[in-house]
Amino acid sequence: MCGIAGRILNAPGRVGNDLVELMDAQEHRGADSTGFAVYGIPRDSGYILRGMGFNKARLDSDLEEFRLLLKEHGSDFLEDPTFVTSDAAHYCARMVISDPKDLAGWVKDADTISDSFEVQSCGRSLEIVKDTGGAVEVADKHGVRDMIGTHGLGHARLATESSVLPNASHPFWARPFSDVAIVHNGQITNYFTWRDRLHRLGYRFLTENDSELIAVWVSHEMSQGLTMEQALKLSIKQIDGVFTYMIARQDGIGFAKDRYAMKPLVVVWQDGEFAAATEEQAVRRIYPGESEVINYDGPSITEIWGVGNRRAAA
Amino acid sequence: MSEIVIDVGQRPIREINEEIQTACKTAKPIVVRNTLSRHNLGIGLPPGVDITFEGSVGYYCAGLNTGATVTVEKNAGWAVAEGMSDGFVTVGGYAGMSCGAAMIGGLIHVKGNSGPRCGVAMKGGNIVVEGKIGYQSGFMSHAGKIIALGGAGESCADALWQGEVWVAGEIDSLGVDVNVVEPTAEEVAEVDAILDPLGLVDTSRNWRKMISGQRLWYFESRDANAWLMI
Repeated sequence: MCGIAGRILNAPGRVGNDLVELMDAQEHRGADSTGFAVYGIPRDSGYILRGMGFNKARLDSDLEEFRLLLKEHGSDFLEDPTFVTSDAAHYCARMVISDPKDLAGWVKDADTISDSFEVQSCGRSLEIVKDTGGAVEVADKHGVRDMIGTHGLGHARLATESSVLPNASHPFWARPFSDVAIVHNGQITNYFTWRDRLHRLGYRFLTENDSELIAVWVSHEMSQGLTMEQALKLSIKQIDGVFTYMIARQDGIGFAKDRYAMKPLVVVWQDGEFAAATEEQAVRRIYPGESEVINYDGPSITEIWGVGNRRAAA
Repeated sequence: MSEIVIDVGQRPIREINEEIQTACKTAKPIVVRNTLSRHNLGIGLPPGVDITFEGSVGYYCAGLNTGATVTVEKNAGWAVAEGMSDGFVTVGGYAGMSCGAAMIGGLIHVKGNSGPRCGVAMKGGNIVVEGKIGYQSGFMSHAGKIIALGGAGESCADALWQGEVWVAGEIDSLGVDVNVVEPTAEEVAEVDAILDPLGLVDTSRNWRKMISGQRLWYFESRDANAWLMI
């Protein structure tokens, strides 16, 4: 059991705060780990990176190694990286970099050092923050409530198929495509079959979490030229198990649900704004009054909600 | 007779349920307000109680009901009246997944549609849905009747055991091991007797009654394919 959430605002605003509320209301669905994907006001050039190093004593050498890889691809830091450390062994980093010459090629090289430092999101707009702990704990540690943006995803994890580790938390970035993130509620039963198949095609898995498969699978289908709508529909046929997952991009949020109709999604979609969660009571943190609630309860369904104005003043 | 009003808000559910149980002892009608779609409201209600939940409720509302008359004004989340042994539960809007799961008696009346697996594993009582029943409704139902007046979703009456699913309207598809039979006039009269107190009798309905094909009652390895849902 996990909890997922999505939020779209009419114009840039406190989307981080709303996602924290949606996830705090669903903490009983899984308090192992919590994560957020927030889409801020997009940059014209350069990428925002979020990442995690697994040994904070090695922070300086990780950074040096990482910067060398950037420079090899014609990129460098545009701002000084910032770090969040705690009692835990790992640390989290936020960086802003200039465009590498070939994003996919750089991601592939950066992933060669993922045992020590893992890039967890890359986007003009997307920032993924994830860690072990409940919604408020993770939000306070990483300042999620203050993140301004237009839309985003949230996830509360109850680990059922693999260990509780900070980097095994959701959301997962569909590397190497910038600004694509997924959150998943459920279990993937043909995980190993697909993992083997994608591994042979050259994709790298950074965790043992079955949900990561969806992100990698989506990356592969996008590289084959599928649209989001086509990928969502195809996933219901090709991915086996119980799932309701959401995928976010710069232009909107999509969702797909398995053919067994096991995992719920509750949506309020009014005046161009959107709030979705596994449970209705979470959506009511955003819309306390009685509103038109849509239950996506049927089998094999997909939907895409678009984001309107991304740059209007907050 | 004045009513007892209980406000939910963000207070602990245990505290609210204790207040509801205390109010049940007074024989006054109970109104629960500001429910915010929260879970587990009104569990294990005693017989003779009249309780109304304003707006929508979350999961398991009126679970283990032993005889109360419960009204949910708007929508109910998962498994409303789960495990009910007796009583009458009305949902004004949509009833979420697994409505009446494993109930053994009483009546549920849903005025809107119901979600997937309505009446899953029910062992008695009746469920009347004015709208459409969702995917796989009646899944492994052992006894009792699920009566849908507005059609049924996919995989209707899947792996039904000994219960009955009655549908007026379109059925998107049938589940595994289901027989559709023509009901007798006596059987229709039995269903109408359930619908009559709800004011829902309509003699022009073209009923389809679904019962178990009984192939899944005994495992035969040569029939293994029948056990695969898809």
